[in-house]
This record gives sequence, structure tokens and C-alpha cells, in this order.
Amino acid sequence: MNNVEYPEEILESLEDYNIDIRDFLPGHGKGAKLLLDFNRISGVEQVEGVILKGREIENGIVADIIIKEGTKIEEPIHLCFGVNKETGVQEIFPRIIAEDNTDVTVQAHCSFPKANGLIHKMFGHFYIGKNCNFTYSETHYHGENSGALVAPVGYMYVGENSIFENNFTLTRGTPGKVKILIDIYAMKNSVIKSNIRAFGKCKKDSIRIRDSVFLEGENARSIIKMKAAAKDGGEVLMYGVTEGNAPRCNGHVECNEIVLGKGSICRARPFIRAIDPTSSVSHEASLGRFPQKWLDELQAKGLTEEEATQILIEAMLQEE
Amino acid sequence: MILETHDLTIPTIDEKCVIINKVSFGVKEGSIHAIIGPNGSGKSTLAYTIMGLNNYKPSSGKIYFDGIDITNMSISERANLGITLAWQEPARIDGLSIPKYISLGIKDKVNTKEIISEALNIVNLEPERYMKRNIDESLSGGERKRVELAAAIAMRPRLIILDEPDSGLDFIVIEDFLNIFGKIKELNMTILLITHREDIGMVADYGTLIWRGDSLMTDVFPKVMLRYCAKAGLKEFCKRKLFNGKQQCFDEDYIDKIFKEEQGQ
Ligand SMILES: Nc1ncnc2c1ncn2[C@@H]1O[C@H](COP(=O)(O)OP(=O)(O)OP(=O)(O)O)[C@@H](O)[C@H]1O
Ligand SMILES: [Mg+2]
Repeated sequence: MNNVEYPEEILESLEDYNIDIRDFLPGHGKGAKLLLDFNRISGVEQVEGVILKGREIENGIVADIIIKEGTKIEEPIHLCFGVNKETGVQEIFPRIIAEDNTDVTVQAHCSFPKANGLIHKMFGHFYIGKNCNFTYSETHYHGENSGALVAPVGYMYVGENSIFENNFTLTRGTPGKVKILIDIYAMKNSVIKSNIRAFGKCKKDSIRIRDSVFLEGENARSIIKMKAAAKDGGEVLMYGVTEGNAPRCNGHVECNEIVLGKGSICRARPFIRAIDPTSSVSHEASLGRFPQKWLDELQAKGLTEEEATQILIEAMLQEE
Repeated sequence: MILETHDLTIPTIDEKCVIINKVSFGVKEGSIHAIIGPNGSGKSTLAYTIMGLNNYKPSSGKIYFDGIDITNMSISERANLGITLAWQEPARIDGLSIPKYISLGIKDKVNTKEIISEALNIVNLEPERYMKRNIDESLSGGERKRVELAAAIAMRPRLIILDEPDSGLDFIVIEDFLNIFGKIKELNMTILLITHREDIGMVADYGTLIWRGDSLMTDVFPKVMLRYCAKAGLKEFCKRKLFNGKQQCFDEDYIDKIFKEEQGQ
């Protein structure tokens, strides 16, 4: 399936992230792919070791992604959820199962360049088996009108000895209203890394994210890094939750937020709880503006304070 | 004179004390001009005020750059006129790449890449090794200071203020830094060099001695250094390390005379 019909506006919409969605289309590269154009599946590509099945429902799809035992693939499994309309409802119910001893990356692009009253909802279940290395990355673009309402919910079970990395990025364009809930359950010896980056740019932007890790297995480890900026009346609230419920587990939550301009709100709240006496959970939060010295250093190169701030925000929200 | 200060007085932020007191001096275009003085004498304060940092405003006096009164200009305006500063302790910023950082001050947006490579080469950092690194904690102290110099050089300013470029460097790399200053000079930039090291200072053409906020003298560098030693009563050091051997420029009698003058006061 080499010629997939897909709206150009969406293919090009992640330009500011330096991403060209065409590079991920069926026919390009060796990864499995599923392409959703509003509520219609417009492309699927299978690869060995991965079962990818989607079924259209009234306002969206139900999708199953199963990575078979022992499958290791370098190229990411690509999911593209695009809507090239101003309004409408897109609902996605993905179930992702990574069987034991698998090593894969799932890259999801969620792009709504024309959003103006558009609703996107996701209700995802992830089951990661034992000894896996699983990365899930979601990059979002909601257009320039603050016109999207985006509400993803994810439940993720991470099995013994597995490494799970979760990345959520929404730093370009205007987010609109965003509400994200992520619950990750970490079993024995697993390692969880969760990176969240968001940027609210005006009064109509409101982002609320709760990212929770429950360290349920002995020696499970986790680090949540949340980075956000809010300017010109934008609002970003981030809750990083970590519970240490098993012996010798270890978790850390880090929240960094920058607030610029009148009426902008950033709130970073680490909630940590250690139930097992041998567990350790810590947090670190910084809120406010950049150190004057950083601004001075950039301004001594001829940048205005606004330009310097912009560069520093980009650096802070940079993917690692 | 590319830079001149006239009776510059700089108070502390709370304006309760004076750090720099009526300091006047001039820097000749194309020269290396050293500012020397003991710890706490006000050298960094003077540098920050010339650069125009937000928390460093003179209470009286004037600063002229190329004849233009820049006393009330913002830091960015001064940078755009051709002044920049390389910090004593440059910041570490996660996520900001070395090429991005160096590119910020480059006006020629067509040949940015070449200019970055050239600047990295001047400070002896191999471009291939450093293009993908960030100016974060992972750089060693010496590497970070070299990147700071490279960023200043890439801007092609007319005046570079270097606040203790030698601090934190091993003595065997000092020679390397002396070469770098030579290359900066070849690119027709003027250097205002704040330093504690007499060997680094020796590359300077001129110097100004700052002592507890007062400027005591501005002259050719050896004379300023001699006065500094005399002020501090370091006669042996002065004879042994500074004005013996190849750097000899004063006879013993002259040195004795200057020391006597200082002690007599
Ligand atoms: N708010 C303040 N209140 C009182 N004194 C201050 C204040 N801010 C700075 N100073 C003093 O001003 C003096 C000048 O400091 P500055 O950093 O300019 O010295 P320096 O010559 O660069 O020293 P060093 O060689 O150690 O780098 C110091 O003695 C410092 O303690
Ligand atoms: Mg200093």
C-alpha cells in the first residue's frame, strides 16, 4: 500500500517539531502503521511479529496492537490520529499488548491543525510483559486557535524486569483544553521513565496533567519529569504522583515550570507516598522564571529579553 | 578609545555602599587591556556595568563606546553595538546545544555553520565532537569556558570583556589560552581582560589597577603590574616572577624606587 490518501495539512502539521509525517506513512520504512483520518482508517501496514487491527466505531476506532513474544524491531510502530476538520468527535480505544521479551517503540502523532471546537478522546490500555523494552511517545499538535479539547486516559501495566518509557509532547501550536490522566503500575525490577512537556500560550489554553506511577513490585524504579511553560494567560497544572508500595522500590518526581506574562498560571504538585518502609520516593519542583544570569548571558549576545526567554523555553521543553 | 568610563560610580543593589568609586579609564581599539586588582576590588562589578546587566546600574558617571554614550542603554542594545561578555562562571543550561548557543550572537544567518565551526576551532574544541553536546553539567569546566569564548568570538564583537577566562584552568592550558587571545586580536577585536594571573596579564598591552573600588592607574601593562606588586608589598615576587629573565623591562633601581614610593605613602 504505497499511495495512501491522507490530508496534506496533517502530513505537514508537525513541521515545527521537525517531523515529517510522510516519513512514517505505509510504504516508508519497516515499521507497522495505522493511519486514522478522523473516524476512518485510511491505512494499515503489518510487519512480522506485530498484529495491528483496527475497527471503525461510531465516533472513532477500537484498535488492537499486539507485539508477539520475542519480537524486537528498531523502526517504530506508527500511529497517526489526524483530524483535518474544525469540529467533530474522535474517540480512540487502543489496547496495546507487548508480550514477554519484546523490544519496540510506538510513536503516535496526534494532529488537529484546524481544530476549532474539536474533541479528541482516548482511552488506552497497555499491558507490557516481562523483560520488555517498551517506549510509547505521543507528539501532539492542536492548531493555532486553541480550539481543541483533548482528553487521553491511559492505564499501563509494566511487567517484571521491563523498561517502560512514556513521552508526551505538546509544545508547538496552541493546546486548547487538555486533560490527561496516566496511571502506570510497575512490577518487580521494572524501570519507568515518564517525560511530559507542555506549553500553554494564551488565555484559552488550559492543560491539566496527572501522571501517576505505582511502584507495586520489589525494586521497581521510576522517574517522572514534567516540564511546562505558561504565557499570556495560559494555564498548566501538573500533578506528578508516585507511590512506593513495595520493598526497596525507588521513585522520583521532578516538576519544572516557567510562568510568563500576566494571568498565566503554572502549578506543579508532586504527590508522593511511601507505604513500604524500605521504599524511597522523592520530589523536586521549581516554579517561576529563569535565573537572571541565564537571561543576561543570552542578552549579551544581542537577544531581547523576550527572545532570550523563548530560547530558554525551547531548551527546557527539548526532548532528551 | 573604543571604551571610556568617566567618573563611574557603582553602588550595591541596596545602594547602601559604593563598590566602584569614580573610576575613569580608556581602552584603545585593537588592544588587550587588563583590569587587575585583588579579590573583591570590584572588577566583575565593573565588567557587568559596562555590559549593562540589569542589576548593575551606575549612580553617577558615564560609559562611552566608540564615542557614544551607552550609560543608559540596555544589555541587548550594547551587544548589538558590538560589546559582549564571557562570564567567569558561565551558566549550564539543559537542552541548549552548543551550536545553538554559539549561533545566538551570529548576525550572518547564511554562513552560521561555518562560523560556528571556525569559532570552535579557534578555542581548540573539535567541531565534530561538540556539535551534538549541550551546555549542561556534562561539560567540564574548561570545556564550558572554551564554549563561552567561542560564542563571544562567533559574534564578531568589537569589544570582548573576558571575566577571568583563566579561572579553573590547569596551568598547562594557559599557553593555549594565550594563543587564543592572539587569534582574537588578529580578528580585530579589542579585549578587556580581567585576570588574577600575572602570566596571563603579561599578554596585555595596557592595564588598569583597581584597588578597593578606586582606579589607581592606567598605563602600559608592566608599569601597572609593578605598581600592583608595590601596593601589595610583594617585592621578591615582583623581581623573581615578573621582571626577571625574558620579561625584564625595569632595572632593579627603578623597581626599588616604585616600592619606596608606595611604602612611603
Ligand atoms: N549587596 C552588596 N553589599 C555589600 N557588598 C557587596 C554587595 N554586592 C557586592 N559587594 C561587594 O563588592 C565587591 C566587589 O565584588 P566583585 O565581584 O566586583 O569583585 P572582583 O574584583 O570581581 O573579585 P574577584 O577577584 O573575587 O572575582 C566585593 O567586595 C563584594 O563583596
Ligand atoms: Mg570577579
